[in-house]
Amino acid sequence: MSLRFLPQDMNWICRPCREPLQPGMVELHYMGNVFKVELPVCPKCGAVLIAEELALGRMLEVEQLLEDK
Amino acid sequence: MEQQELRHWEARCIQEEPPLCRAGCPLGVDGRSFARTMAREDLAGARAILEKTMPLIGIVGRLCEAPCEQYCLRREFGGSIALGGLERLCLSSVPGRGKILRLPARPKKVRILGSGPSSLTVAFDLAKKGYPVVLLHLADGPGAWLRDLPESALPTSVLQEELARLVTLGVTFQPVADLDASLYATDAGDACYIGQDDALTPDLRTMLEAPDPMTFALAGPGLFTGGLCSVGHPYRLITDVSQGREAAVSIDRYLQGASLTASRVPLRHGQTDLFTETKDVAVKMRIVAADPANFTRQEAVAEADRCLDCQCLECVKHCVYLAEYGAYPKTYARRVYNNSAIVKGIHQANRFINSCALCGQCETLCPKNFSMAELCLDARRLMVRENRMPASAHWFALLEMRAAASETALVRHAPDKTSSQVIFFPGCQLAGIRPDQTLRLYARLRELQAETGIWLDCCGAPAHWAGREEEFSQFRDRLAGIWDSMGRPQVLTACSTCLKIFREHLPEITVASVWTLPLTTGAKGVSRPALALTDPCTSRHDPATRQAVRALLTAMGQELAPLAMSGELTECCGFGGLMEGADPALARKVTAARVAQANGVFLTYCAMCRDQLAKTGKPVLHLLDLLFADTTHPADEAPASLSARRAGRRLLKAKSLEELPTDEPWEKLSLTIAAPVAALLEERRILVDDIRQVLFHAAGGGASFEHGADGRRLASARLGEVTFWVEYRLVSESYHIERCWSHRMTIGGGGES
Repeated sequence: MSLRFLPQDMNWICRPCREPLQPGMVELHYMGNVFKVELPVCPKCGAVLIAEELALGRMLEVEQLLEDK
Repeated sequence: MEQQELRHWEARCIQEEPPLCRAGCPLGVDGRSFARTMAREDLAGARAILEKTMPLIGIVGRLCEAPCEQYCLRREFGGSIALGGLERLCLSSVPGRGKILRLPARPKKVRILGSGPSSLTVAFDLAKKGYPVVLLHLADGPGAWLRDLPESALPTSVLQEELARLVTLGVTFQPVADLDASLYATDAGDACYIGQDDALTPDLRTMLEAPDPMTFALAGPGLFTGGLCSVGHPYRLITDVSQGREAAVSIDRYLQGASLTASRVPLRHGQTDLFTETKDVAVKMRIVAADPANFTRQEAVAEADRCLDCQCLECVKHCVYLAEYGAYPKTYARRVYNNSAIVKGIHQANRFINSCALCGQCETLCPKNFSMAELCLDARRLMVRENRMPASAHWFALLEMRAAASETALVRHAPDKTSSQVIFFPGCQLAGIRPDQTLRLYARLRELQAETGIWLDCCGAPAHWAGREEEFSQFRDRLAGIWDSMGRPQVLTACSTCLKIFREHLPEITVASVWTLPLTTGAKGVSRPALALTDPCTSRHDPATRQAVRALLTAMGQELAPLAMSGELTECCGFGGLMEGADPALARKVTAARVAQANGVFLTYCAMCRDQLAKTGKPVLHLLDLLFADTTHPADEAPASLSARRAGRRLLKAKSLEELPTDEPWEKLSLTIAAPVAALLEERRILVDDIRQVLFHAAGGGASFEHGADGRRLASARLGEVTFWVEYRLVSESYHIERCWSHRMTIGGGGES
């Protein structure tokens, strides 16, 4: 899995913290595997945004690969 | 699966059994492939097929008497394929490839007495294997009776060419004055073959006893004989060649010190287990050649095209799933075995194993009752036991099952009754898809028997189909306990799957289909044109229910349109076996193939089949639409969404309790979902309930984002195994849903980059 998954549109704000999201390294876990990926993150509370194209694109591919589906 | 089990499975699929022509050829020539290749006008390819199994092809191909034609399945439909004539045309049209490959030389020698067709075959087969062969022939030259044939039957040049090829293979031709007893007695070499299809002297002949009929071995060590066919025999050449071939097999085994008979396959004489359906075969007469002795190329191609291409494929012809993977159960058994045997690496067949509808049609169609359902279900159970079942394969169906068995489950006696003679178990799909009709049917059942309780639940079929033995077993115990607590009433189900599960896995419970009861009310229903009745696949082995449904329809005066695959041959709607979860695209193909089998309106008595088939846009009715005119739904009604089914079950429970549904706090949120978004939710298996929970969670301080410019908002929450994301706009207190997606991965620790 390539390490950088920043959406083109980074203009998102964390609502509870009112902070603009920043690129940040995040761990994604699945079936005992860990991936370090760069994603939009709230610098204050650490909330992570997973965009639709990532969830249904590379993320789904990797999930299915790990499942041997 | 153990290897022995694999063999057992493989043996039950007969697709790889030889066609009759091949089984009827003493040389095992693949007549079917040969004819099919000729029909494509690929004469060089056809010759290559003959060369695979036929020795001395120039001679044998021209003179073969084609005993295969006795067995040809085409025989009764216009006459056997003229394979003999096709071989001759093929050989005279395509020159040979020339050199034949020879294995490295071996030390042991073979000596052959006589030069008839059987002897030449022994020489050919053993020289190819690397044995040095010395062939003794009479002074006029090798060939014996082949030399007396007219030029038109066997041109001298062809005979010479084949003899020359034997020389290049390492055969030494040695002329002798007489083929007599002195040669037999002396210098026998390591193995000796006496070909009786040549002019042997009487003293030699009298020395030879009859050989073993399978191995052609004589009593003495290393001695073999053949070429025993009488002159007038209708299959003289091919029989002698076959005897030469069998003797060569024995000699090879003998010289290698192996048993002459161990695991040796006897000649089949036309015996095969291959089944080929002929009910739709039309008569097509044999092509009459203008020159009776020889086909023209054009005539040969037309004749070859009459070949029926004998195959079984009974199951594959009718099953979209089996056809999808491009092969047939014998190879599928191997795939499943290999998939189970892999310890590390990718399991290529997981999706294949999880896509079978477990509907049992293949087993009913198969002459040997091969059951893909059994094969796949066993494999699924093993995957679950070994903890390598893909989590997403059956995820949604299992969630639905658990919800139907808890949140929307209910069991109670009829209002004002304290016991139940019978209890109505509608099944979770009918309850979710048609709650109104479920209640209407319940009312009718209480007219027939006042002490009829109601039991809203799931039978546990998803756990069973998913191979989750432990969960299914718990489910079964739970159901048995509830039934016991209700005083062990007779169970009436409106779902064929529930019925099957109860019958097969809860045999202590007396169960019947509601359709076997006199449900008609006498009220005049809508008169409809003939309907195509599709039986649910789980009714395959339940003729009583199928007949009861037809009796109800007859009583209502409803006519039925023909539908080929029905009754015990009925097909799956695309949901069975949780196929839809494992491979949604394949499930859509299965559904489309089913509705394409009849014009007009379909009718079924399974709620899941009704909505599954209706997904194609085909008008489909449920039996309840005919039975109760006061609650009828139109045939073209869109299928209920997954969310609507959940809501339907909740509604049914509330109505059965005669109270309002208890709202969860998130159910008060006002949502607006446009049709294209609703379709997206359905495809992605996201429930409106899930959306509400995510939004509710976000409103309470959970993960939530806002676009810096355009006012869009994003909320997410983990619900069970899945994280859901909802993109929306808040328009005057109402959530306008724009997109939704989900993933199974979890998000761990974050930090500054």
